[in-house]
Amino acid sequence: MYRAAMFTGSLVATLLLTVAFVGCGESGGNSEGSENGSGSAADRGPLVTYSATSAKVRGMDPMDIGDTTSSGVASGIYDCLYQYHYLKRPYELIPSLAAAMPEVSEDGLTYTIKLRGDAYFQDDECFKASGGKGRKLVAEDLIYSWKRIANIKNISKNWWIFDGRIKGFDEFREYTKAVKDKKDVDYDRPVEGLEAVDDLTLRITLTKPWPQVVFMLAHLPTAAVPREALAHYGDEFLNHPVGTGPYRLKDWRRGSKIILERNPTYREELYPSEGEPGDEEAGLLADAGKRLPLIDQIDISIIEEDLPLWLKFLAGDLDISGIPKDNFDTAITPSRELTPEFREKGIVLKVYEEAATYWYGFNMEDPVVGKNQPLRQAMNLAIDRDEFLTLFLNNRGVPARGVLPPMIAGYDKDINSPYTVYDPELAKKKVKEAEAVHGGPLPVITLTMGSTDSTARQLGQWFARSYERVGITLEVEYMDWPTAQEKVKTKSAQMYAMGWVADIPDAENFMQLFYGPNGSPGPNNMNYKNPKADALYQKLSVMEDSPERHELIREMQQIVVDDLPCVFTLHRVAFILRYDWMKNYKPHVFGYGLGKYRNLDAELRRQRVGR
Amino acid sequence: MTAATTEFVPPSASAGRSLWYDAWLRFKRNKLAMVMLGVVLLYVAVGIGVAAGWLTADWKESVGPSYAAPSWEHPFGTDIFGQSVFRKMIYGTKISLSVAFFASLLSIGIGVPMGAAAGFFRGVVDEVIVWLYSTLSSIPGLLLILAFAYALQGTSLFGFKLTGITSVYLALGLTSWVGLCRLIRGEVIKHKDRDYVTAATAYGASKTRVIFRHVIPNVTHLILIDFSLRFVGFIHAEVILSFLGLGAKSEPSWGVMIDDARLELSRGYWWQMAAATLAIFGISLALNIAGDALRDALDPKIRT
Amino acid sequence: MLSYIVRRLLYTPLIVVGVLLVTFLLFRVVQGDVSSDIAGKNASPETIAEIRKEYGYDKPLIINTEAARERGVLAVFDSQFFHHFKSALTLDFGRSRSKQKISTLLMEGAIPSLSLTAPIFLGLLITSVSLSMLVALRRGGPFDTSVVVVCVMGMSLPILATILFGQYFLAHKLGWFPVFGYEPGLAGAKYFVLPALLGMLAGLGGDVRFYRTVMLDEIQSDYIRTARAKGQGTLRILYKHLLKNAMIPIISKVVLAIPFLFLGSLLLERFFGIPGLGYLMIEAIGARDSQVIMALTFIISILFVLGNLATDVCYALVDPRVSLN
Repeated sequence: MYRAAMFTGSLVATLLLTVAFVGCGESGGNSEGSENGSGSAADRGPLVTYSATSAKVRGMDPMDIGDTTSSGVASGIYDCLYQYHYLKRPYELIPSLAAAMPEVSEDGLTYTIKLRGDAYFQDDECFKASGGKGRKLVAEDLIYSWKRIANIKNISKNWWIFDGRIKGFDEFREYTKAVKDKKDVDYDRPVEGLEAVDDLTLRITLTKPWPQVVFMLAHLPTAAVPREALAHYGDEFLNHPVGTGPYRLKDWRRGSKIILERNPTYREELYPSEGEPGDEEAGLLADAGKRLPLIDQIDISIIEEDLPLWLKFLAGDLDISGIPKDNFDTAITPSRELTPEFREKGIVLKVYEEAATYWYGFNMEDPVVGKNQPLRQAMNLAIDRDEFLTLFLNNRGVPARGVLPPMIAGYDKDINSPYTVYDPELAKKKVKEAEAVHGGPLPVITLTMGSTDSTARQLGQWFARSYERVGITLEVEYMDWPTAQEKVKTKSAQMYAMGWVADIPDAENFMQLFYGPNGSPGPNNMNYKNPKADALYQKLSVMEDSPERHELIREMQQIVVDDLPCVFTLHRVAFILRYDWMKNYKPHVFGYGLGKYRNLDAELRRQRVGR
Repeated sequence: MTAATTEFVPPSASAGRSLWYDAWLRFKRNKLAMVMLGVVLLYVAVGIGVAAGWLTADWKESVGPSYAAPSWEHPFGTDIFGQSVFRKMIYGTKISLSVAFFASLLSIGIGVPMGAAAGFFRGVVDEVIVWLYSTLSSIPGLLLILAFAYALQGTSLFGFKLTGITSVYLALGLTSWVGLCRLIRGEVIKHKDRDYVTAATAYGASKTRVIFRHVIPNVTHLILIDFSLRFVGFIHAEVILSFLGLGAKSEPSWGVMIDDARLELSRGYWWQMAAATLAIFGISLALNIAGDALRDALDPKIRT
Repeated sequence: MLSYIVRRLLYTPLIVVGVLLVTFLLFRVVQGDVSSDIAGKNASPETIAEIRKEYGYDKPLIINTEAARERGVLAVFDSQFFHHFKSALTLDFGRSRSKQKISTLLMEGAIPSLSLTAPIFLGLLITSVSLSMLVALRRGGPFDTSVVVVCVMGMSLPILATILFGQYFLAHKLGWFPVFGYEPGLAGAKYFVLPALLGMLAGLGGDVRFYRTVMLDEIQSDYIRTARAKGQGTLRILYKHLLKNAMIPIISKVVLAIPFLFLGSLLLERFFGIPGLGYLMIEAIGARDSQVIMALTFIISILFVLGNLATDVCYALVDPRVSLN
């Protein structure tokens, strides 16, 4: 439920990524009803959009995907049962491979899902029976795809999605444990809770009510993959994706470039014809009713250093980009607008809030920080969140005083702690109290940073300086991300940089991080435990979203901010730049694979940059 | 200059002093080298001063606004926290010199005894040592250092936790003794059959005693030359390792400063980069020139 | 001579074993079990156990006595050490953290690395050899002195600074070169110009000084003096006599440098976005992918060992004195 859920001290460095999967392109010849009057597709050639990512794509097997970049690319190739509506806010799910939203039984345990009958896998040599022609997608394909995740021999990172949720599925996983070789696992072995009633009807039976399951069915790892491709490519499947999505992989030069091209057999899906107020004026409905995808080719460069990526964007070689920290001032004025120089180039700025909260977590089982509430209060009070934002994020964020980011239903600005503000004098008093609780001078506190780059070093230094001012000695240890993760998971870190980026628009996504039984190695890596909070979570996690549920969410948040198991720092705000020739761009916090909606005014681009 | 053709007369034990004295006289004639030697000594003095806490112990203090440009007040400007880049540059001397010093110490500590043992005992001992260093020298230097630093970081050695900088000391030291070992081995083989060694063994001196009292002093100048040139390599290696996140982190070092400046450069904040580069350039140049002069002075055979 | 070659050939496997031992020691013993690292977030103990099995961490380090008791004597080799041995010798390094085949990654990385290092290497060789010949002829003169000074200054600059300043001024500020990028084939040549130049710049100081010493040694020899006395033209002396006689030290340096070409230039690749082996190494360090680091270390070392062997054998064939040492 969380994509690349944890960020480290290097959160600043990650600012630039996540723009990779944006695609744009004018409705080329292939899309019906193209009336742009700028010449036919035949003499223009294919419409290509250019973007870049600062992280490498590791592989394109949905089962293994856990990072944002790979998700962004692979979701152009694969489809899930559901997807987010591109324009509507608050975020809303609509069918993708499914024909309609699921029928849920009275007790909330059985979900019956009808599939649309016109989804085909992309043509690929793995479909030997049909001479390379893609086969129609059936309900059995989804069950097979999910069983791959359950098969422990596959060492999928995504088992948490189904863990304990579906009837008989955990038993299937148990069974795979006993199988000697990966190849001997029998995928036809029935699972009680996963049933293909007929080719186009899927029935899921849950172990207990779980209203958020629909969001999971829109999450990339649950996408449909064809069995033939696995039989044909084996372990190399991750380099030969075969899906049902709007694009297929044309070329992939690892470490430098990925090219996706239009999938000619993509089912008929149309650009939405309604959105939220203002979309019409913003031109986001100009392509309403046109067949997707609108562009022919998505060209993604992999550029790991910020500066070259930025320069490529300025040269007009990329259609869209984030803003590197170090170049922010050249692009954005102090009043948070685009500089005239950039506006003249035809660059457009889009600012939006991300669904993320960042904090520095305490290990609540640690004898020093875990048992000392005044200390945790002091450590919250000593942090000047505004200075933090200025120094490290060019103010691209808002201070966080509680758990939920403002955009999530259930957020309440009045839920906060008197200690999540900057007050060094009060912090000093609290340090005195903390010393009394500890029974002597405070020992050195160790902060674990999961990065060794210069930004992490500067962050570490800044924290140490902040704490020194109030009489707390902080030592920072820097290590690579896997090692830091390991320390956190084994409860051997005292304090560590952490954050959550939600990718479902539901508060439960955040609240489960504070649920006692989810302690390490589970998602509650602070090992926070409060019986009252636990009781509330148990109730709200099985409820349909409602005002009563929001009340429970509020209560639980208040308990957490009173206990302060972490130093809350900020919610991020994204600044995305694009050229005005890129059409239909609307930021979407949860969805991936939005490239199919984007469009491109190729004529304007040619005028501006001659490309 | 026909020095290359003159026969190199091996110094006898008693002639040792005059060799050093002669070398010093030769070295002194080279004015540039003398200046450079002064520069090296200055760096060393600064390094010791910082380590002892006499110099720039206050580097953490903010002296001005974030990223102030160089001025009379802040000779090399300030960094993100308004800390003086000049102080950081001075402070960095400590880390860089300590890396070079400990790595050299370790490499001499391993290389010299091993080389001497191999050369003196020959036989199985020699075979094993030669095999060991042939193996290590088959692994490209930077790769070996990286592999060592990577594998060592975060592990414990004799109950002693290896942090960033200690694993750098170890990685550099453990990988750089090979050249010295080979050199000493060759020299020891050459010296072994010389009269003074034969005489010493004849008088009943033990083998280790012979090696350390008689052979090693006669190859000290080689160690010194090797050390002076290797030092530069270590200082540069610290920069690369810092960039790869394997070096010091909580204290300013030149490598860390350059790594920080990597991102600052595009905003036009060039001073941190310039300060660290200047500091490295200064000591490298001084060591290179003084080292060359030292070699010429100590080993007239290869004078060029 | 034959016996020397045979000895040399027999020695090579010993070195290979040594390299295997070093990598084993570093990545299996010193570093230990990294399976929970690989497992990623929220991994259950079962998943970690499964990975331990997959990567062989569940096996004893050196010999498997337990298996030997159960499955017969040969199972004694069912240990981490022998599996390490086997995977290296069969060049089957398994898969990286991201489940990519390591041998594929290595092969893919070799081409970009070579496309960068080969021009650097050749350019450096030609420039530094010709420059050193010129200065050697004018030994002690102002030209010689200034070249030596510039060389020493060049050697004193940290390479990271050279790359950063070069990229910043020549590419960003002046726009003479593309800042960054990679494309296979000739289309990508433009991306290699600046990194290749900077790579040459970084290596020039040391190389010129090395070759200058070589040339000076040669130039003092009698045949050159004779040739000069005979009044032969400078160019003729340079190419006919000097270069010919300096060939042996040049070739030995060259042959030894070739395996390093595969490694590429770690820093240049990183800064200019060239997806070569150096880049792969940096990435593997960041991801703690010891399997990849180990494979890279092993392969490059083996190339080096073989290159070394080839040189020595050639030497022995050319110059019989070598085999006496």
